[in-house]
Amino acid sequence: MIRRDLTYPSSNESEQKLFELTEECLRDEGVDTVLARRFLLAISEIFTNALVHGNNSDPKKEIRVILEIKKTSLRADIIDQGRGGLKRINNRQPSNSLSEGGRGVDVVTYYADTVVFAEDDKGGLRVSIHFDRENEKQLSSS
Amino acid sequence: MEITARDAGDVTVLELKGRLDMASGSSLKEQIKVHFEQEKNSIHLNLGEVEFINSSGLGALVSIMKEVRLRKGRLTLSNLASYVQEIFEITQLSHIFEIFKTEEEALNSYQTVQAG
Repeated sequence: MIRRDLTYPSSNESEQKLFELTEECLRDEGVDTVLARRFLLAISEIFTNALVHGNNSDPKKEIRVILEIKKTSLRADIIDQGRGGLKRINNRQPSNSLSEGGRGVDVVTYYADTVVFAEDDKGGLRVSIHFDRENEKQLSSS
Repeated sequence: MEITARDAGDVTVLELKGRLDMASGSSLKEQIKVHFEQEKNSIHLNLGEVEFINSSGLGALVSIMKEVRLRKGRLTLSNLASYVQEIFEITQLSHIFEIFKTEEEALNSYQTVQAG
């Protein structure tokens, strides 16, 4: 099992660093490439939301990421330092075909087995994503 | 992301390589803007070497398509890897973009349109 508790400044470079670290952890744990790609996409989407919408790209604000890669599941908790994130998620409108944003959460909920949005004790948005590894072998062969 | 541009007749072909995300999506929009300024409004994007795309990258493509439409031009895409195609389908953008299996098919379609 791999567990990492990480804190990143709000920057695009942080998303790239998290992506690379997660990719390495998934490879070390032998996670199937299709499942790994979906998990990486989910992390990228939620981290980018935390960066842009939660922390308003404020470099003084941080994003905490807790990664857990187990034999049976993949999990990430991504926590921003914004305010009103849960309300924003609950009130979000479906993206129309020509909108440039608003698709990230839909992609994550499509791929992940569970996605939970909650407010953390400091008022930031905590997004927990969970992928089962039960059927991962079938993903590559399908 | 690496972007390689070349002309194929009246069509500007851009080959994208690497990650298409928020940062590289902005670079792509900037690069295409240069072509727009030269009145090159027929754009083909070969995504064959795109290793990763997220919704910010998709947003950049939608933005480019809107600009192409305003200019009465045309935007086509080709060579999508299966996982990239899947994301277009999940987000229903596969119905919005003109997507071809190969670059050759896409470029031929411009000739067909011109001839028709």
